[in-house]
Amino acid sequence: MKTIIEAQGLTKVYSGGILAVDNVSFSVNQGEIFGFLGPNGAGKSTTIALLTTLLSPTKGTATINGIDITKHPYQARLELGFVSQDLAVEDALSGYNNLRLQAGFYHLSRTEVHDRIAEVLKMVDLTGRSKDKVETYSGGMRKRLDIACGLIHRPRILFLDEPTLGLDIQTRREIWKYVNTLREKNNMTIFLTTHYMDEADSLCDRIAIIDRGVIKTLDTPTALKEAIKNEVENPTLDDVFLHHTGKEMREDFTTKEESFKARNNIRRARR
Amino acid sequence: MNIKLLLSDIYWVFWREIKKFLQQKARLMMVVIQPLIWLVLMGNSMSGLTRNPQAAQMLGTGNYLDFMTPGIMIMTALFGGVFGGTTIIWDRRTGYLNKMLAAPIYRAAIPLGKLLSIGLQTVLQALIIVIIALFLGVHFKTGIPGVIALLAIAGLFGIIMGGISLSLSSRIKSMETLMAVSNFLTMPLMFTSNAMFPTNAMPAWLKGIAMANPVSYAVQAMRTISTQGWIWHDILPALAALTGIMVVLVALAIRLFSKSVN
Repeated sequence: MKTIIEAQGLTKVYSGGILAVDNVSFSVNQGEIFGFLGPNGAGKSTTIALLTTLLSPTKGTATINGIDITKHPYQARLELGFVSQDLAVEDALSGYNNLRLQAGFYHLSRTEVHDRIAEVLKMVDLTGRSKDKVETYSGGMRKRLDIACGLIHRPRILFLDEPTLGLDIQTRREIWKYVNTLREKNNMTIFLTTHYMDEADSLCDRIAIIDRGVIKTLDTPTALKEAIKNEVENPTLDDVFLHHTGKEMREDFTTKEESFKARNNIRRARR
Repeated sequence: MNIKLLLSDIYWVFWREIKKFLQQKARLMMVVIQPLIWLVLMGNSMSGLTRNPQAAQMLGTGNYLDFMTPGIMIMTALFGGVFGGTTIIWDRRTGYLNKMLAAPIYRAAIPLGKLLSIGLQTVLQALIIVIIALFLGVHFKTGIPGVIALLAIAGLFGIIMGGISLSLSSRIKSMETLMAVSNFLTMPLMFTSNAMFPTNAMPAWLKGIAMANPVSYAVQAMRTISTQGWIWHDILPALAALTGIMVVLVALAIRLFSKSVN
């Protein structure tokens, strides 16, 4: 199987001296849905920001389809699509114009733009509403449009940072359906983070659990559950998660100031 | 660096800002209403001044509106440009900035595209002021070429203010703080300039400040063009100074922005 993301000793120390990601190495295979789970402040968002070239690593590097993200960030960006948890679509513009703008950012030629927009609109079932302003869309439609934006340049890898955050259960299911279709029909690799364990369990081929900047475990959902069978009867992924990250709520910085700074940094990285 | 790609990136950032601007109906209304209020209200209440021959001499024209129109154009440019940085803070907050940064676009294209859109918005606003002023009987001595020059200077000034605002927004992450700092900047800039009152009518200390204030260079050059004619030894130094300030601020905005996203 072909490796499409390869992280080698990825490390990020923020300016305040906070170690957000600590020497992380892992690889993701082409065509798999890779789940990246962890408690708040564990280093998920920082890792995504590093892999999508929004931040540069303090140490280590990663390759995206063979392209080194520190040496050739520009080329790496062409290989990846990034859909943040922020629902970053322009309300004042139509769905079509949101995609037109995105196509412009990826330098698609004028002749192919129209077909490409039609293609991604179809993928997320928004063809009929493309001329309407986004402010008239529902939350689920906005998310689908956001995903379509991430697909406009036909990336090999799609990064989805908590794609179902704040959506109701029906809409969440709908989004997962689209994610599954993308993988099956387009052989796309999907790297996603989520806080919903049931979803990660049913969707992901493999799951990594990160905590305090370190990868605690990485395997298929079945194997992860299997591994703690001796401790918990009929373990769910929730049990796996708690087993690896502990049961306390997170305030894992010694002083108040430190924790504030860390949160701020994570927020800054996300923005 | 690939110039063609850079220009394309700037164009799309610019396109986004302009599309958004044109969608905001209420904002477009304000663009028309605000200068209308200024010109009609201020123009009427101050026109008594010009009946006083001494005041008329200080103003350099027999019609207060002639005197004031360039001032209103620059004031609009100032207020329009100085809030340009809020779009960066907004983009950062909504996540759109990250969306752009994850795309293969030149970092410099983001501030440049935004500045260009601020420039165009300022020119459009200035054009509306010219049209309103024409209806109110303002006379532009140098005709259409003069009006084009006025629009260009207003646009230049809008970009200068936008440059200040974008530079600030790379450091200031909260909307409230940026608004407060911007307001703190605009009021003194406005009222220590010759936009509303002739420098000849000012006390000596204020006159000194007004002469050094870049707002005054812009207004003075525009006023010369619109009320006196192409007096180049008045116009050219002001234009040179404004262009210099613009180049420095645009470079600063690009530099601070690029640093803030790395």
